[in-house]
Amino acid sequence: MVVETDHHGFEAPAALGHPGRAGLPEGASTGPDIGERLPDFELPDANGHIVRFHHDRGTSKAAVVFYRSAVW
Amino acid sequence: MTQLVELRDRYHIFEEVGIKLYAISYDDQEALKQFSDAYDIPYPMLSDVDSEVIKAYGILNTQIKPGDALLYGIPYPGTYITDENGIVIEKSFFDTYKRRMSAEQMVDRAVGEVLLRGEEPTADVSDDEGIKVSATLHGGAIKQGSQREVIVRFDLPDGLHIYGEPVPEGMIPTTVSVEGPEGLVVEELIAPPTERLYLSSLDLELPVWSGQVDFRVPVYATSTLASECRPVDDDEITLTVTVKYQACDDAVCLLPKEEKIELVVPLEPVHVQSIALHTGHGQREAPYDGMPAVKRLMARKIKQSPLGFVRYLLNAARLSLAARRRSKGPR
Repeated sequence: MVVETDHHGFEAPAALGHPGRAGLPEGASTGPDIGERLPDFELPDANGHIVRFHHDRGTSKAAVVFYRSAVW
Repeated sequence: MTQLVELRDRYHIFEEVGIKLYAISYDDQEALKQFSDAYDIPYPMLSDVDSEVIKAYGILNTQIKPGDALLYGIPYPGTYITDENGIVIEKSFFDTYKRRMSAEQMVDRAVGEVLLRGEEPTADVSDDEGIKVSATLHGGAIKQGSQREVIVRFDLPDGLHIYGEPVPEGMIPTTVSVEGPEGLVVEELIAPPTERLYLSSLDLELPVWSGQVDFRVPVYATSTLASECRPVDDDEITLTVTVKYQACDDAVCLLPKEEKIELVVPLEPVHVQSIALHTGHGQREAPYDGMPAVKRLMARKIKQSPLGFVRYLLNAARLSLAARRRSKGPR
């Protein structure tokens, strides 16, 4: 495979222009803003237990990390 | 993936201060179960398999079309930090998916201060007046994809202060800079808020810092320094931190100082999946065969858009061919 460097200085195992290398465009939405309540969600964890975010969090602070994939 | 493993390794710092951590992706539950078991992940990995939450949040990567098999449904990666009431107090999204907030940054932003634990690479200088300046690489080894912060901490004896800007002519404002090898991007300094100091003798109000003062300099490695497509060349690098300051008490000023601190920090390869796309580059591979999960993902996406899948393959082949031509052609 030919490894190409993008304009940020990063190499990746895909050709330049591949949609998998696309970054966040300028002005694109980055979701809920500072000062807003993080919208609640209900999702299964790896063991199938349903996690309701604000309920599960209780009165704790939280870090919610959105990532691309654990598969590739 | 590197981020997920890093968050596992640093999970105790979330626990120490009672911050709950959640990771969300479009992967199916089975894939998350396999990953979670293989890597012993202590925090919940949540499966947003149809990207409903990702879409509801408005962070779906819309440059990937529904036909872009395998990829459609991923978010622009980023992190939200909430307070006790669930209000967002910090969020972090970068223009490249190769930059991610470190565990330390998440915890620091949640608690509102820099928490150094005495276990990270650090170097310091002290002067005769008892002023100590230390530089610490906060967040562990430098590796591609993970942001770090160089924390430059001043410990000023009681009664002494240093200056922010603007300062009147003749006085020296505090400056902090970090230099590293080629491929280390050093971002703009983040200084804490100054206090206002009123000097009655001069009838002047000046911005100052006193006590313990933490300056933060975010840094990250591009592929010149560390790439996911080849092994890292060196296992450590040296950062040079330069500070200039002038300390004063309410009556007199000490001579201006310039100090250089050399900080040696580790450089590490990333973790990659054991699938053909990533392997063979000398990086740390996954401790299990990732192909079954890839095949399930392919099956799911083919079912959603069979034509899209074909278009995706054709497009990938076209881009790969173009890359090969570029590599052979004149530059």
